[in-house]
Amino acid sequence: MAKKSGVNVTAAYTAEAVPLVARDAAADRDEPGGNVASAVAVRHLSKSFGPIAALKDVSLDIGSGEIRGICGENGAGKSTLVKILTGVYRPDAGNVLIGGAAVSVATPRQAQELGIAIVAQELSLCPDLSVEDNIWLGSLHVPFLHKRPDLRRRAAEALALLGAGHIDLDTPVTNLSMGERQLVEIARLLTRDARVLILDEPTATLTDIEIERIFAALLAVKREGRSVVYITHRLAEVYAICDRVSVLRNGELVTTTSLKGLDRSALIELMLGRPSDEMYPEEARARGAPALVVEGMSLPGIVNDFSMKVHRGEILCIAGQVGSGAAEIVAALAGLVHDAGGRVTVNGRPLKLGSSVRAAQRGIMFVSGDRAAEGVFRRLSVLQNLVATRLRDHSLLGFLRGGALRKAAAHLAARVGIDRRRLNARAEELSGGNQQKLAFGRSIERQAGAILLMNEPTRGIDVGARAEIYRLMRGFCEDGYALVMASSDLEEIVGVGDVVITLYRGRRIGHYRRSEVSMHRIVADITHPRETTP
Amino acid sequence: MTDQVLPTALRYPWRVPLPHSRRGRTLVAIRVAALLALIAIAAATPGFFTAVSLFSLLNTTSFIGCVAVGMTFITLSGNIMSFALSVTLSTSGIVFMAVLPWGLPIAFLVALAFGAGLTGIQGVAVGYFRANPVIVSMAALALITGGATLITQGQGVYPQGDAAAALKGRLLGIPMPLAAFILTVVLAQIVLSFTRFGRQLYMVGSNWRAALAAGLDPARIVLGAYIVAGLCTALAGILMAARYSSGDLELGLGYDYSAISAVLVGGTAISGGEGSAIRSLVGAFLIAVCQVLLLLHGFSTQIQYLAIGVIVLFVIMLQTLADAD
Amino acid sequence: MLALVANRSVRPYLLLVIIAVALWIFDRGRGQFFTTATAFSVLQQFATIGPIALGLGLSMIIREFDLSVGGMLSLSGCIAVLTGAHYPALGVALAVLCGLVWGAFQGTMMVWLRLGSIGVTLGGLLTLGGLAYVVTGNLSISYPRMDVALAVNNPVLHVFSLRSLVALAAFLAAAFFMARTRAGRDVYATGSDRRAAMVAGVRTAAILPAVFACSGMLAALGGALLSYSLAAASGVALTDALVPATASAIIGGVSLTGGKGTPIGIVGGVLVLCLLSAGLNAIGTPPAVQDVVTGGVLLAVAIADAVDLDPRLFAMRRYWAEMFVRPAESVRSADTSAAE
Repeated sequence: MAKKSGVNVTAAYTAEAVPLVARDAAADRDEPGGNVASAVAVRHLSKSFGPIAALKDVSLDIGSGEIRGICGENGAGKSTLVKILTGVYRPDAGNVLIGGAAVSVATPRQAQELGIAIVAQELSLCPDLSVEDNIWLGSLHVPFLHKRPDLRRRAAEALALLGAGHIDLDTPVTNLSMGERQLVEIARLLTRDARVLILDEPTATLTDIEIERIFAALLAVKREGRSVVYITHRLAEVYAICDRVSVLRNGELVTTTSLKGLDRSALIELMLGRPSDEMYPEEARARGAPALVVEGMSLPGIVNDFSMKVHRGEILCIAGQVGSGAAEIVAALAGLVHDAGGRVTVNGRPLKLGSSVRAAQRGIMFVSGDRAAEGVFRRLSVLQNLVATRLRDHSLLGFLRGGALRKAAAHLAARVGIDRRRLNARAEELSGGNQQKLAFGRSIERQAGAILLMNEPTRGIDVGARAEIYRLMRGFCEDGYALVMASSDLEEIVGVGDVVITLYRGRRIGHYRRSEVSMHRIVADITHPRETTP
Repeated sequence: MTDQVLPTALRYPWRVPLPHSRRGRTLVAIRVAALLALIAIAAATPGFFTAVSLFSLLNTTSFIGCVAVGMTFITLSGNIMSFALSVTLSTSGIVFMAVLPWGLPIAFLVALAFGAGLTGIQGVAVGYFRANPVIVSMAALALITGGATLITQGQGVYPQGDAAAALKGRLLGIPMPLAAFILTVVLAQIVLSFTRFGRQLYMVGSNWRAALAAGLDPARIVLGAYIVAGLCTALAGILMAARYSSGDLELGLGYDYSAISAVLVGGTAISGGEGSAIRSLVGAFLIAVCQVLLLLHGFSTQIQYLAIGVIVLFVIMLQTLADAD
Repeated sequence: MLALVANRSVRPYLLLVIIAVALWIFDRGRGQFFTTATAFSVLQQFATIGPIALGLGLSMIIREFDLSVGGMLSLSGCIAVLTGAHYPALGVALAVLCGLVWGAFQGTMMVWLRLGSIGVTLGGLLTLGGLAYVVTGNLSISYPRMDVALAVNNPVLHVFSLRSLVALAAFLAAAFFMARTRAGRDVYATGSDRRAAMVAGVRTAAILPAVFACSGMLAALGGALLSYSLAAASGVALTDALVPATASAIIGGVSLTGGKGTPIGIVGGVLVLCLLSAGLNAIGTPPAVQDVVTGGVLLAVAIADAVDLDPRLFAMRRYWAEMFVRPAESVRSADTSAAE
């Protein structure tokens, strides 16, 4: 029954033209009362974090025995949607329906009781527990005395199904490779007997053969009438396994559509919307000799033999998905990775990696996208945040010159566009965008030939503030800085990068100048690399 | 103009800059209410303002106060507290007494250096290796206690003559321990508010990784905080040894807990990055006021212990209100 | 054999054997040390430190730290002595109940208010210490039932006493619980990675209060029996147990980073410390040597578990290589060795 209706829906969609407008008929047709037996549905879901709306009035129906792809850029709301479905977040408005009835999903455990199971982007394995214990961790089917032969057998079966029968059930997860851990996580999903299985970017660390096996397992799940929600950046995977795809953009549902008759470029266009040209600054011209040269950089277990050159006045963008090593390369250049190796030359002089103090002395500044963890000092004032790196310039024999510091802070606030009346406010009272400006403010006008490193600099920042930050970045170029940015945000990469280097599993794939760069090539590079590199 | 450049912590050391969040404001309201209640109780207590002057109250808190100022640096640096300051105090006093025959200035400097050295080693473990500060301080407590007992054979050190007499007198009419305490607070506050080290200490305590990413050297700054803590504690040890004309291991007994209580009651955040030396002075003073009030109302000393415990527990729980947003 | 050494819970026993052999060599022939009397006194000391070490160890397994056990030890002793004159069992029961309630309270506060355990239990330590002073009126109070005091301490089967048997029983129960039950597995999961455990469906919000309740109960049990055996209790004397208890948990294989360690390992850790103490006594070293040894072990473990140990060692190795080996090649070799 379930399978049949799924087929009907697919048939209905192939007959239609693919709609490109938001909130199209497809979503409306999914409303209850239609002929779809939906396993899980959400209605008018909204969620905001402070002033930023992560989800706006999203409604979806996922049928029984359907594999549904969910696509969208970074920050489109995919993860928020998943976290609401699995009880990590609670929605501000709207509700979740299971089998047609509204339910409350307040905790991950409740989600499990309702038959929802997930493989999240961040793995949820406990490194000190054995593989078997991890597979059954948190499961509702485990009796109080939990060492049971039948449970052990089922765990082994699930692993064998994924072609991972070689993994010892008693070995602690900490001894496994990232790929093996991912398989254990998926094995846990398979043992949960859930009605709805959610997989959020499950294949980032896997090989093609492993991905094939996972797909086979998911198809088996589908044949049992269970539903799968499959979230990915890799469009090839969407086409390989999904029945339909829902596209999110800026927290809104753009469309839900069948994949038949929808080619890749159309899907990418759906994900990105109209490109907002005015958001991005003009291209800059590189000046003089390269400011930063990296040769043969290696980060054990993450990146192998990475090289690049950055000139003053240009923005180099390292494009790669989470786990590709892009973020780690930037962190290593900032001196935050202790075992980084390779030859790095800054303005013609060699720099030894591994110390952030040394890097800072050579004029390397670092702005992280993870503001809470390594960006702002939340409890300190805006003033203190702005002048954090230049205390030495404004002190005499170790004593701070208060007037000079204040003047410097006021100047920096004006340059990055923060109201100078807020200099005494605590940094945590500022919005995410303004907090990020503090981190940029720290790096302005430091020294000639300075280098600014950025790691996902606009993560979690709304569109308006983004444009300001891009303008700031171009300002740095005009000051003669060389900028290096790691990003997984396609629109940003194409819009900002003067030079783009694509990275896949720690390997450099492509190198493009601004005129050569296209979204399609980047997507192809960072998700499904060609055999030969240009 | 000068008023503008002063950091908030110095201009209003007792003031929490009024937060915008409702929970934060609730916290301020609770603090103000508690303070008002204390003042009201004090005013309603016959004999409080006559029998006990502010001055003598402060005097009683001198030694604990010095240690509390030292502890403030450790707490501010994000390393919670040290269990080893009490034995640092005692052993610095012993060293002072032992070296005293060579002259007061030398003994003074040697004892200070000794105290700074003891905590400095912990600072290396905590700062450079990022070892668990609580466990390191417990290890230091055991090592220093054991080592000192072995060396001194458990005996106190008593000086010949009266070389330390200068430390028993008065400075400008103020008893020496109180004068030293006030001087310590002033110096510590100047370091915290006006020096690069002080500013960097707040940054490291507020967010270690951000300090690292900004190119600071957090390890060195934490080491500095531990050394300052050792200096303050050694000073208290010297003054106590001089006061009692002996140095032994019992000098600082229980001071770790009294000091951290003063730090927390003063409003320094247990998670680091927020607080001041003056707040610790206020904390030590408030605890003394509470003790005197309880005494005047006829409560026994044991109730005072309990009261301090409950106040500290309460203060720690209140801190979450400020952090949660 | 290597696997045996690598097992954290086996290591304390190897250490135990080494210490015993060392003591035997030292004692050679005289037979003064290896007697049932020594075994008895080691186990008596085990009964004092063991329960606290177990409670503390459990809190460390979930990556927290229960400072309040010292205060609970004093307070429970006072409660037991004050209420247990007629029915000794009632005194113990009340003390344990008190430990349970307080521990659960602390754990609940940490979950509700998202507080760190050190802060809350520091407040708990001071409050409990104060309470102990209050209930005893700041005096040392004596326990009128000498018969009970004798009964808890009387040798059973030559080497045990009621007290040490109770402590051993607590360890056995904990060992079974941690190794065999789902809840035990969830405790390890919580300590290993709390977020992951929560997302996987473990009720971490319930684990925290439960573990702190256990820790409070164990400290209370130990304190009550200790006070019975001393036939006295006071607010002061017992707060020094924190350092040896922490040391024995750590020697027993509990990691400061959570998720590792077993009750059986902790037994070994406590026995190591007790045997060492008895041995050092027997060969006539002053008791302070034991403080030094305990402190040294704690410091070594704290540094071995330190967050930045690897980066610092790596930097030192690289520095060493550049200074003293052929400079150009050395950086490479340091890189490749790290890559392996």
